[in-house]
Amino acid sequence: MGIDADADVQPSAPAGQGMAVGRRRTSTKAGVLAWIALLARLLTGGVWVWAGLAKLTNPYASAQAVRAYQILPWQVADVVGHVLPSVEVVIGLALVLGVLTRGAGVVSALLFGAFIIGISSVWARGILIDCGCFGGGGTDPDAASKYPWEIARDAGLLVLSVYVVWLGGGRLALDRLLFGHLRSSDES
Amino acid sequence: MSKATLREERAAKAAAQLAAQKRAERKRTFIAIGGVVLAMAIIIGGGVWLGQRGGGSDPVDKSGVPAIGKTKYGLTIGKPSAPHKVIIYEDFLCPICGAFEAEGHEKLAKLADEGKVYIDYRPFQLRTDWTYSRQALNAFAVVRKTAGDEVAKKFHDLLYANQPNEAGPFPPVSSLVTLAVQAGAEKSKVEKDILDTESQASYVDGATKQAEDDAGVQGTPTILLDGTAYQKGSGPADWADNLVKDLS
Repeated sequence: MGIDADADVQPSAPAGQGMAVGRRRTSTKAGVLAWIALLARLLTGGVWVWAGLAKLTNPYASAQAVRAYQILPWQVADVVGHVLPSVEVVIGLALVLGVLTRGAGVVSALLFGAFIIGISSVWARGILIDCGCFGGGGTDPDAASKYPWEIARDAGLLVLSVYVVWLGGGRLALDRLLFGHLRSSDES
Repeated sequence: MSKATLREERAAKAAAQLAAQKRAERKRTFIAIGGVVLAMAIIIGGGVWLGQRGGGSDPVDKSGVPAIGKTKYGLTIGKPSAPHKVIIYEDFLCPICGAFEAEGHEKLAKLADEGKVYIDYRPFQLRTDWTYSRQALNAFAVVRKTAGDEVAKKFHDLLYANQPNEAGPFPPVSSLVTLAVQAGAEKSKVEKDILDTESQASYVDGATKQAEDDAGVQGTPTILLDGTAYQKGSGPADWADNLVKDLS
């Protein structure tokens, strides 16, 4: 393992850079990137856990909220409404703990993308609903003024998710405990 | 043995060792990933199961739900003395209500006739952008006012039997007059007020306010059996079947 092994940075990992100075500078940068990855994980993961838990206890309302988008047939919307809260909690936990981080990041990014499309779609069709992101749902007369902020929030979280996919777990990811042997063999 | 063969042998041994090590690592990784994915699946399944069991999945604020038969907007069937009371909040465009009604309305009416249940139908306009829903509820109010609850209940059943898709296309308002007449209302008495789709605006808005603001109903159908939210089964037809079973 090299100096920067703890950073778990693949894209910018310097393969065979002989100069000690160059290596140290890269590893400082890699260290910063890794800390940012941890921050991104905690932020997106925290939001997922919060959003999932808020809906978990009331799948009925969750299904209604999905249906209110009028995108999926109601049978499908019901299934999504029932499963989504648990999926959100699991993805959130995976990101916070750093387990299968890249995979969780991919799912996270896809979900945020879907939410952005969903909210844009109801906005464009003039349907005024609570996004149901953190529970709730149903009609909301003030929805139009909230849509831009909701889309911006999801876009920000989408960017953070993509960052995690690109960089991996960064600092304090459980992946290193689970799959650490892979890295050591790669680098030996 | 020459030095060269010895070296070759050693190299081959090392290569074999490395390959075995790699295989073992691959296996370990596979098991680790599989284990994590399995744990995730179990948590998701558990979450869905917990939700299905309905731990605290009450869709209404019970303190805000008016007692059965006590609202201006509810249409009741059966006798108040029946052992069970059912309140149904619904919307004329909501497809799940349509599926629930299609499966259950005849059997529930029969149970009410037999004195086994007292049912309070409370239709309201679930979504402000549902124009058809508003027109239908307006017509429902007109029929109730001019022809009474019995005809209105028939009209209610006909509305569900002829329910349009929630995404359209929607029938012309005149089709509501046809259904009202079919239910037993006099055309001359209902036509004008049904065609004027805002003639009963205060009824429509009042019923909606009562359901959404007072009772906190967020979706339809919201079914209350003896004061408790009822949603047994995996879909509206299932709820209707189970409700009928539980009331029989």
